[in-house]
Amino acid sequence: MNASQHTGGWAARLAIARRDLLEFIRDRRAVFITLVMPMAMYPLLALSSTLGIRSAITELDNREAVTRLDLVLSGNDAESFAARVAGIASRSEGPPEGWPGNLTIRLADEADALSLIDEGGADASIVIDRGTMAGLDGDGTVSLDVRLSTVRPPGRHVRDHVVTVLRGVADEAKIARLARAGLPASLVEPIRIGFSGVDDPSRASAVREILPTAVAAVLVLLALLTATGAFYPAIDAIAGEKERGTIETLLIAPCTPFDTVCGKFLAVFAVTLATLLANALSIALTASVLVRLLPLGPGSGLHAGGAAACVLITLVAYLGVAAIAAALCLAVTAASKSAKEAQNTLTPVVMLIAALAASALLPAAGTRRWLPVVPFTGQVAVARATLGLFSDRSDDDARTAAEATVQPPDIVFGLTASLVSSALFTWLLLHLTAGLISDEEILFRGPDAAASGLRRPRPQRIPSIGQGFAATLAGFAALWYSQGFSPEEFVPALLVQQASAVLVPLAVMAWWQRIDTRATYSLRWPGSSGSRVAATCAAALLLGVGLFLAGAAVALAAWGGDVSAEARQLAERLVALVRGAPAWHGVLLLAVMPAVCEELLFRGWVLSSFAGERPAPRRACVAVVVQAAAFAAFHLLPERMPQTFVLGLVLGGLTLATRSILPAMIAHAAHNATPVLLITTASAGDLASLEAGGATALPPWVVATAIGCLAGGGLLLVAARQGLSTRDR
Amino acid sequence: MIDVVELVKEYRSGGGTVRAVDGVSFSVRQGEMVGLLGGNGAGKTTTMRTLATLLKPTSGTAVVAGRDVRRDPIGVRRSMGYVSATTGVPDRLTPRELLDSFGRLHGLGPNRRGEQTARLTETLDLGSFIDRPCGRLSSGQRQRVSLARALVHDPAVLVLDEPTSALDVLGSRDLLELLATLRAEGRTILLSTHRLHEIEHRCDRFLIISAGRILADGTLDALTDGRQGGLEEAFFATVQPEAAS
Repeated sequence: MNASQHTGGWAARLAIARRDLLEFIRDRRAVFITLVMPMAMYPLLALSSTLGIRSAITELDNREAVTRLDLVLSGNDAESFAARVAGIASRSEGPPEGWPGNLTIRLADEADALSLIDEGGADASIVIDRGTMAGLDGDGTVSLDVRLSTVRPPGRHVRDHVVTVLRGVADEAKIARLARAGLPASLVEPIRIGFSGVDDPSRASAVREILPTAVAAVLVLLALLTATGAFYPAIDAIAGEKERGTIETLLIAPCTPFDTVCGKFLAVFAVTLATLLANALSIALTASVLVRLLPLGPGSGLHAGGAAACVLITLVAYLGVAAIAAALCLAVTAASKSAKEAQNTLTPVVMLIAALAASALLPAAGTRRWLPVVPFTGQVAVARATLGLFSDRSDDDARTAAEATVQPPDIVFGLTASLVSSALFTWLLLHLTAGLISDEEILFRGPDAAASGLRRPRPQRIPSIGQGFAATLAGFAALWYSQGFSPEEFVPALLVQQASAVLVPLAVMAWWQRIDTRATYSLRWPGSSGSRVAATCAAALLLGVGLFLAGAAVALAAWGGDVSAEARQLAERLVALVRGAPAWHGVLLLAVMPAVCEELLFRGWVLSSFAGERPAPRRACVAVVVQAAAFAAFHLLPERMPQTFVLGLVLGGLTLATRSILPAMIAHAAHNATPVLLITTASAGDLASLEAGGATALPPWVVATAIGCLAGGGLLLVAARQGLSTRDR
Repeated sequence: MIDVVELVKEYRSGGGTVRAVDGVSFSVRQGEMVGLLGGNGAGKTTTMRTLATLLKPTSGTAVVAGRDVRRDPIGVRRSMGYVSATTGVPDRLTPRELLDSFGRLHGLGPNRRGEQTARLTETLDLGSFIDRPCGRLSSGQRQRVSLARALVHDPAVLVLDEPTSALDVLGSRDLLELLATLRAEGRTILLSTHRLHEIEHRCDRFLIISAGRILADGTLDALTDGRQGGLEEAFFATVQPEAAS
């Protein structure tokens, strides 16, 4: 008997991964659904799509490539003119290019000719007056009036064919005139153009119009199916183990919950990667078949090197899809008691992944530099941009503006950002799962817990983690739906937005849960004496001002004037609001109101739900990061997210450090009030240069002020917290 | 080997808390087999899960093989094997693969894993189904596999929560004989069961728990105190006044 040694770490993770993979490959149904089904699905999908595309092409052929033309000639020279046309059609070298394949010419008087074209008996009528033929054979210019139906608008081909026929007659007259003058026919034809090896250009063009959309849809489908590869193994890995009663045996193994979760992640990630490769292989083989089935025409595909680079970069980018999907599914299923419950919980995850992946296809998506950091959207965006870069399509006009402006460094940056962001999200999700997997309440709760969802819970001091998520989601939903009914004017819209996205969800949830408002919202003074409270508030003020100035300096260096139209529009509306009203008006609307409402939501409800009442350092860190991420996402515009994320981190840390929401409110208000006051006091010239967007750096004194405020605020805060009792802390 | 002092465990339930274990103290010496007896909801499973580091104590201390469950949970897990009535075995793995997998988790090298698998196969009589998927084994065979899994790292302490509840009379007798063999090897065993007659003459000592408190701690003779009816009567005599109050 002896205690085992050297346990945990990578040896334990690999042992768990090996065990889970062994279990997975013994489940033939799961292997079939995850790995074999894609091999059958893409050919079926491609076959149905190909049939659809070919039908569309046939329709286009019928509509556009009509070769029949019925002409009615009237007038005295009509018969001679008809004979001239017939001669051109039957000449030994063949008629001119574009000549109608089935040309019928009838002679009629002028009135009958008009009736014929209006009744659909002919496509066009031309009056050939006396002297027309003499004019053609002489040196002058004759005018011909082609009459089309006024009742039934003819197709474009009618006009083209009539012009071809008349140009054929004119060219023959031109050559005769040159011959009479003793000049060669080549005098007026220095270049003769011929095409070879070309499929029907109209068909190729139709396919090429459809192809980019189809490829983009396949990229979204690939992301979705790769993610679904994680579903079954993730359900089996945690919820399935709970159902079978085997999870306990892992939790009493001599390793940390994070080791256990990492082992399970490696197994799920391996299966998800295999799904990705199976899908990619099926797509590649299907594409090679499609190339032969569809008339793509020249310059519509990728050269061999470009195709290889595209596949490689897409696969590398989609490693992130596989990793985040595996970690996300594990996190979601870790909170489920049974496989059935896990399946139900994963349904909204599918919808979320589909929505995120599809948003990469939005028209302006290609111009967002930081889009690759968004999970599932970023990877699809990188793959799409890569395809645009390596495409050797000659018709640049047909390429979107985003595709046309993509450069290799953009791809490298996007791919790197996407991989780093994927690794970070995965790491965070694995830590969340490690917390959930060993949570006693989740691990040992009875089956009645899920059924009690609609029963009003007993009062409790602070909200649970689930209620923290619920408040965030309710806020997002309200933010979205409020756009449908909020007024057009900026100020009322701002009020409606804050009320619907923050105050109403908070009020409803606080009433439902009957929480202790003082504990949940940290409604305390940040110190036991007046001097400490004053010092802490002053520190918060300095930190808020410093954070805005530092954030603005970094944002200017990073973006310069290169921001989205939405960000520019918002900035313009804010400047107009601030310049058009007294300073207090702007401060109240843009600084005080958001500071109070958003702090109650994020540093109040959300932070306390994730952190608990007296959190351990690790849980406190995770809680601060989660609420800061939600706070950043709440601001919608990607350009603002890095700054709001950092602000959220500082405000969250400040709230936990002082156990009071007041410093966070003051810092938030100071952060938002700084630009309001700067704009109010700025000269017209400064504002003009700001609106022009030419500035790429703040003046040195502003940067120095930012550093000073941050350092001063930090020192003051430390000083204010010195000598506090443990209870006060 | 097991020292529990003033152990308290509270659960959150709805908006309030429920005290499942209320100041429990006891010890189990090396080589002892001790029965933990109590009705449903008495606190047996919570106590054992706390010893197995699946639950964190609200207060008090629990030390297993010299390691504190709160401060060194991984050290406790290295020295202890745990099996409960709800512990399952993976349906799609064979017992051999399961033992190999847990041997790896406990940091055993390939040779040691092979030796342990062979030894446990012989001791627990797993030979006839060692390469058959666990999903196709009977309840008794699965319980033996569970016990083998708990013993793969050769632990000094075994905590067994109702290990015979899913077994028939024969399976139950075989398992208890096995436990007697393990105790004879010097292992410390704490087990709980509702079938008092099965363990009456096999355990060295008994702990009677009710409403989260230890009501009695002693040998069969000390508990029966010369009364007729054996362990079952002693149990009722201890628990019923408490239940009546």
